[in-house]
Amino acid sequence: MKLTRREFAAGLAAGVTAPYLIGSARAQGATIKIGMCAPITGPAAEAGKYATGGAKLAVDAINKAGGVLGKQIELIVEDDQTTNPGIVLAFSKLAAQPDIVGFLGSIRSTQVHAMAPDVMKLGKPVMFGGTDPNLTKLGNPWLFRFRPNDSFSGRVIADYGVKTLGKKKWAVLHSTDAFGTAGGKALTEALGKLDTTIAIDQGYANQSQDFTPVVLAIKQSGADILGSYFTFENDLGIFARQLRQLGVTIPWVGSPSIVNVTALKLAGPALYGTYGVADYAEESSEASKAFGKAYRDAYKVAPDNQSSWPYDAVMVLAQAIKNAGSTDPQKIREAIIAIKKYPGAEGEYNFDDKGDGLHGYNIVKNEKGNIVFDKHIDFND
Amino acid sequence: MDLALQLLFTGIGIGAVYALVALGFVLIFRATNVVNFAQGEFSMVAAYLMVVFAVDLALPYWLSFLLSLAGMALLGAVFNLGVYYPLRHRTFLPVIIATIGASILMANSVLAIYGPQPQVLEGWFETPGIQLGPVYLDSQYLLIIAATATLVAFQYWFFEHTLVGKKLQATSQDKEMASLLGISVSTMIMVTFIYSAVLGGLAGILVAPILFVSIQMGSTIALKAFAATIIGGFGDVTGAIIGGLSLGIIETFGAAYVSVPYKDAFAFLVLVLFLVFRPQGIFGERVAEKA
Repeated sequence: MKLTRREFAAGLAAGVTAPYLIGSARAQGATIKIGMCAPITGPAAEAGKYATGGAKLAVDAINKAGGVLGKQIELIVEDDQTTNPGIVLAFSKLAAQPDIVGFLGSIRSTQVHAMAPDVMKLGKPVMFGGTDPNLTKLGNPWLFRFRPNDSFSGRVIADYGVKTLGKKKWAVLHSTDAFGTAGGKALTEALGKLDTTIAIDQGYANQSQDFTPVVLAIKQSGADILGSYFTFENDLGIFARQLRQLGVTIPWVGSPSIVNVTALKLAGPALYGTYGVADYAEESSEASKAFGKAYRDAYKVAPDNQSSWPYDAVMVLAQAIKNAGSTDPQKIREAIIAIKKYPGAEGEYNFDDKGDGLHGYNIVKNEKGNIVFDKHIDFND
Repeated sequence: MDLALQLLFTGIGIGAVYALVALGFVLIFRATNVVNFAQGEFSMVAAYLMVVFAVDLALPYWLSFLLSLAGMALLGAVFNLGVYYPLRHRTFLPVIIATIGASILMANSVLAIYGPQPQVLEGWFETPGIQLGPVYLDSQYLLIIAATATLVAFQYWFFEHTLVGKKLQATSQDKEMASLLGISVSTMIMVTFIYSAVLGGLAGILVAPILFVSIQMGSTIALKAFAATIIGGFGDVTGAIIGGLSLGIIETFGAAYVSVPYKDAFAFLVLVLFLVFRPQGIFGERVAEKA
């Protein structure tokens, strides 16, 4: 076979440019990676499905709109087993991949506490949903919260119970884990500033099979309103049924778990007429409605706060990377802090320098199983 | 007083659940000298079977109940053949580890098939309960107490007055002697596993309307039932019942009068006290005497 000069030139050109072409194709194929620790197994496996669903919805929306910095976003999920050792392990697996630029942590405060030291060591931004106020006071610059913290939920529960419902003699019931303890403390502190009496302040251990002693104590205390911080829906369901069975009918304003999908299914009529603070309320804003519709279209179930915060977290992280024009951790951090008036599914994000994005809550009411938006209470101090 | 009565009722109700699961522990321990750590998962699997039959397939409640128990009998047989039988000539340790492995397998199989969502199972009765003076009696707890009492009576009759029961007793007391007398030891052990699985399943089905149907429901109950077994004296049927009931009552009263968050601690505090001061339990014999 005789090679013509033209063929030789073409071959040479192809040979010389091939590495560049392949290289640029590789660069275009490369993705911006976001790591996510989510409970795939364990007591919160239920919630984990909603959480990854919310995050994936955001990833799809961003990728459909052309991605970030010309690249597609890729979500890498690790199982945190709903335990503290589990999330530390999951996070270390993700942290070992140097091309992951940002992470989603847990909705459970105790798990965020567990992973916080490793987050500090790694020095990359981690979005989380745990609502223990202390988490943004650890002096850890890499933690960013995508739900309002419990100092706000406590204040909103107190504000609504006292000013709207006109009740002053409170029963406070909370789980004894990090979330429940911090929430109970926030509520009693807020009540302390509002000219009220606390008839009973009661903690309980997670996965209790029976709440009779608790219900009887509330009944005997003579409280005329109940404020609660429940961590797990099955605890909430068992308590709600026993509360009604033993004839306690005082108004009840609960932390977000009281209005989530699983709790509504488990407790049924026992929760009718209760109020809840909800970081996500579908009717509260245009952005919330839009997220709700997209989520329903994709998964055929109602959205709740388990799915809304990971959605917002991925959206805001992508926005911050876009604004920063870079995936450098420090620049992403500065870009997140700079985000103001961002309309998310959870509410309007105005990040402060501690890493808190939201500063208020919605109050919703359970009307025969339907969650109805009542009012939004924001605090600007 | 009203308060104490209400607490007593709930304590007995929850204690009866522990007692039912504890019975399963005891029966298998007596027959095989190993602790079956999958006993709690029997309860969980049975509750899910109820959900399959009564909720998903919308079969009548009584039929679902019978089908679920039949399913548990089958599971007990498979469990015996798959977990205990191949290891029967080994020491107790490999068998115990195999039961732990089986419990993990069962929990994760249900998780894979049914997903992580807790399920709702309605109770046997339409009425949730009755108000008797100052005490509210949850109908499901009433059913649990009645079922436990019936089973204890049945078990007494079965072990003391039927040939199979006596053969089972003989097997649990001395396998070699039993087999010399012409009792088929492996059949007796098979019967024990089937019966224990049905017993654990019954506890799960009865408690599901109260605790909801979840993957974790079995392990939470089993831990307490295990403690009840030790308190009662490992291997003693009456002890398992007394241990279960007293554990339920102690933790309910402890929660009401001392501290709610430490409710579980009372149960285990009692366990520790027994292990230190009376390791053979209330009704147990000293190991030396048995040998």
